Amino acid sequence: MNTSNQTLNDVLAPPKPSFGGVLKQRLFNTPLDAVITIVCAGLLFYLLYNVIDWAFLSSIWKAEDEPLCRDATGACWSVIDARHRIIMFGLFPFEEHWRSTVACVVMILTIVLSCVPWFWSAVRLGLLWILGFGTFYILMHGGIFGLTEITPERWGGLALTLFIFAAVSIIGMPLSVILALGRRSKLPVIAKMVGLFIDFFRSLPLLTILFTAAVITPFLLPGWLQGDKLYRVIVGFAIFFACYQAENIRAGLQAIPPGQDEAGLTLGLSYWQRVGRIQLPQAFRNSLPAIVNQFVITFKETSIVTIVGFFEILASGSAAFGTGQWTAHYIEVYVFIGLIYFIFVFSLSRYGAYLERKLRVGHG
Amino acid sequence: MGNILRNQKFRGILFQAVALSVVAVVLIGMVMNTKASLDAQGLTAGFNFLDRSTGWDFSFSVLPYEISDTYTRVILIGVLNTLLLGFLGLLLATILGIIIGLIRTSKNYLFSLLGTIYVEVFRNVPLILQAIFWYAILTNLPRPRQALNFADSIFLSGRGLYFPVLNIPLWSFALMVAMCIAWLITLGWLRHKMDASLAYHRLKKMGWIALIIAIVVIGYLARIPETTLFDIPALKGLNFRGGMRMPPELTALVVAIALYGGAYIGEVIRAGLMAVPKGQIEAAYVNGLSNFQIFWHIRMPLAIRAVLPSLTNQYVQLMKATTIGIVVGFSDLFMIISTSINQSGQTLELLAILMACFLAINLSIAFVMNTINQKIALKGYEVKS
Amino acid sequence: MADNKQSNTPAVSMSAVNKWFDDFHVLKDINLTVADGEKIVICGPSGSGKSTLIRCICKLEDHQRGSINVLGTELNDDIANIDEIRREVGMVFQQFNLFPHMTVLENCTLAQTLVRKKSRKEAEAIAMGFLEKVRIPEQANKYPGELSGGQQQRVAIARSLCMNPQILLFDEPTSALDPEMISEVLDVMVSLAEEGMTMVCVTHEMGFARRVADRVIFMDEGEIVEENDPMTFFDHPENERTKLFLGQILAH
Repeated sequence: MNTSNQTLNDVLAPPKPSFGGVLKQRLFNTPLDAVITIVCAGLLFYLLYNVIDWAFLSSIWKAEDEPLCRDATGACWSVIDARHRIIMFGLFPFEEHWRSTVACVVMILTIVLSCVPWFWSAVRLGLLWILGFGTFYILMHGGIFGLTEITPERWGGLALTLFIFAAVSIIGMPLSVILALGRRSKLPVIAKMVGLFIDFFRSLPLLTILFTAAVITPFLLPGWLQGDKLYRVIVGFAIFFACYQAENIRAGLQAIPPGQDEAGLTLGLSYWQRVGRIQLPQAFRNSLPAIVNQFVITFKETSIVTIVGFFEILASGSAAFGTGQWTAHYIEVYVFIGLIYFIFVFSLSRYGAYLERKLRVGHG
Repeated sequence: MGNILRNQKFRGILFQAVALSVVAVVLIGMVMNTKASLDAQGLTAGFNFLDRSTGWDFSFSVLPYEISDTYTRVILIGVLNTLLLGFLGLLLATILGIIIGLIRTSKNYLFSLLGTIYVEVFRNVPLILQAIFWYAILTNLPRPRQALNFADSIFLSGRGLYFPVLNIPLWSFALMVAMCIAWLITLGWLRHKMDASLAYHRLKKMGWIALIIAIVVIGYLARIPETTLFDIPALKGLNFRGGMRMPPELTALVVAIALYGGAYIGEVIRAGLMAVPKGQIEAAYVNGLSNFQIFWHIRMPLAIRAVLPSLTNQYVQLMKATTIGIVVGFSDLFMIISTSINQSGQTLELLAILMACFLAINLSIAFVMNTINQKIALKGYEVKS
Repeated sequence: MADNKQSNTPAVSMSAVNKWFDDFHVLKDINLTVADGEKIVICGPSGSGKSTLIRCICKLEDHQRGSINVLGTELNDDIANIDEIRREVGMVFQQFNLFPHMTVLENCTLAQTLVRKKSRKEAEAIAMGFLEKVRIPEQANKYPGELSGGQQQRVAIARSLCMNPQILLFDEPTSALDPEMISEVLDVMVSLAEEGMTMVCVTHEMGFARRVADRVIFMDEGEIVEENDPMTFFDHPENERTKLFLGQILAH
């Protein structure tokens, strides 16, 4: 009896691979594998050591220590210490920098909250962004609540980048839904016109569209319709964004089985009821990764507005080291700006990948 | 009367008619406004200005150029510059992308980790920042006297990248390239017609030998008299003489596009390799094929077919990204057009030319890729677009 | 299931209905009358046009020639007519078509609140009533993806019933189900029939037809080939094509 109990227990428990065993299989499976592993490990350590040394160990941090930078082998972060205000806020008045800071924090909070599923209804998202963007604008622009007025020409740096991104998103998202629905319309004239519109804007480089918005549209529009260059560029950017996002949403709409809409029809629902309650919720679920990805791309593309003459973070960065003692330290400034972009973009795209995994599991 | 308004078909027609009229009104309004603005500024519309000479200089040109050249020639140079930049960038990005895609699908964890680090670093920073960064580095390189030196024939300095070229006139070089392309196309067509038969392989070998002989003969006959075969850059005084120079603007852009595009294309290729159904690979194992044979004959061909639409998309995006050239001062099409607009004021015409050129470039890329896609598509499968 | 039309107005009346899909003549001269309270079963080989026929009744497809009258209203391009008919005619699909992003209860209350303008409480009460009728009240807060095929189809039937339709159309309701779940759906359909609902069913379930149908219609290549009461239809088919079809279906 005892022996058969023992065999039973031995049979039931599966063998757990030891950590060493896993390591061997992944990294040292064949002799060639082992060589590759050793070389890669060496390369990784070399890179890591050099980066850490340059960035942290041999680097100078304080602005006053700048003269030491000439002899130091590491990064001269003094330039950031001394000039970070220009990079983050551009030419915003010095005393009001707190407003710019708070505005940026509010905007980042809005973006982060948009990723929380609790907010995922049209009403809640709409309210969140109106509140967030409104607060941002009031803080930056001022003119009420006792804040001094600061017009958009003085906005710059990270605050301007965030403003452009948020404005493009707010205008672009509703527009993209309308374009997606329009392209799928059963009325052939509407579908063709929207199709041409979308294809036209998608085939042009973003820079061309921004340039047109900044320079050309004053010709095309009557005087009363002309706005600030900033707003024209934002509208142009938003149209570009909407055309790309519309295609993502359209793909999501196409993936819905036609029976869904037919079921809505037989229940007596109207077109907008079907679109709002049945089609769009499913379309967004279908193409959420592509939709998030479009936001990631748009955030990177805000850097292009520097070419049409806005003092966003790239331009303010160039200005930061452009003068006097800091001209040699362009690498540190660009790395700093690159890091800021990297943090935003990487987080958003990681979130997109997480969403994709979660949704795939749900579909099962 | 009320009944017709409730008629579904009638409402559809009415709605479309209203939409068309609104669009027409907006367009006509824009045209009229444009006329008014142009008249107010005393500018004439029309494309006559294209024959005027530009009067300004710029940094890099594929063709020989003088200040007195017309706008038409200048725009042509812009197009060629953009195409050159695009070609070099896309080529390097593809090569890099294939390497990165392979690295990332490797079973070795550390090896694929290196690939992942590369992709995440270069994908998550805007291209324009990368271009500015490389440009800043390249222009801060030492002067020609202290230039970086590879094998005494390739030099990298703050004024650009110098490398040796063949001492033959441009037309013969173009002829060689044209012959190579023609031969590759013929090869593809023969493969299509003859399948991979013995006769085909014999023809292929003969063709390659004939091509190489033809190239050598042309090179010999066309060489510039009293010079060596290679024109190697050499330091004479303060600067380099001879060879070909790639200015730092172009180099920085090519490097940036190659690295950035390589990260994206690497992801595309990785997706393609992972999309090959496991069953195919298992069947190949069971048939006794080696790892490399499976990779070369099964995985790669199927991965390429899976990946062509995404690859087309990436190429179009990267081609459009060449417009950032202006930020480092490279005279690509966009920079030339915007300078022309500043100099001549003929905004709308030049903008139309810019848009037409980009549409043409994008359509050509899409056309070539779609043709390839159709030719290699698996027979009998629905090609999902 | 109150009927407020006179009992001599037919529920559905199709005369000389023709339909083409591009060049393909899918419905050829269809003449069909369904009386109020009648149960019709339509059968036939695939491609015979039977699904298209009932989809025309609720304007999921357009007919090019002939006229269709549903509950006394003509089915044409008049939007008011179309909306009215869609409210009074319900349809159960082969693929269930439950809305995957809503719970079972929300599936049933959606149209009630949006179209019949009922309050949420009222709609939920009605929905729970019908969910009990189809014998799955306990699944009310689950999502369609968590239910079996048979359960989903019963929810679909309840969803249609919540709109209080006067006619129910069934488009091969059990064809997508595993065999062991077919009977639970058929039981629901039988009890609906016994309560007097006007039903037009496209189905291969001959046992159901025998038990419940007032008339069985055989369609082939777009035409109505034979129609009769079930006993005569199954035991003494007149047409050769009918005999062939019945031979194939009933062999298994």
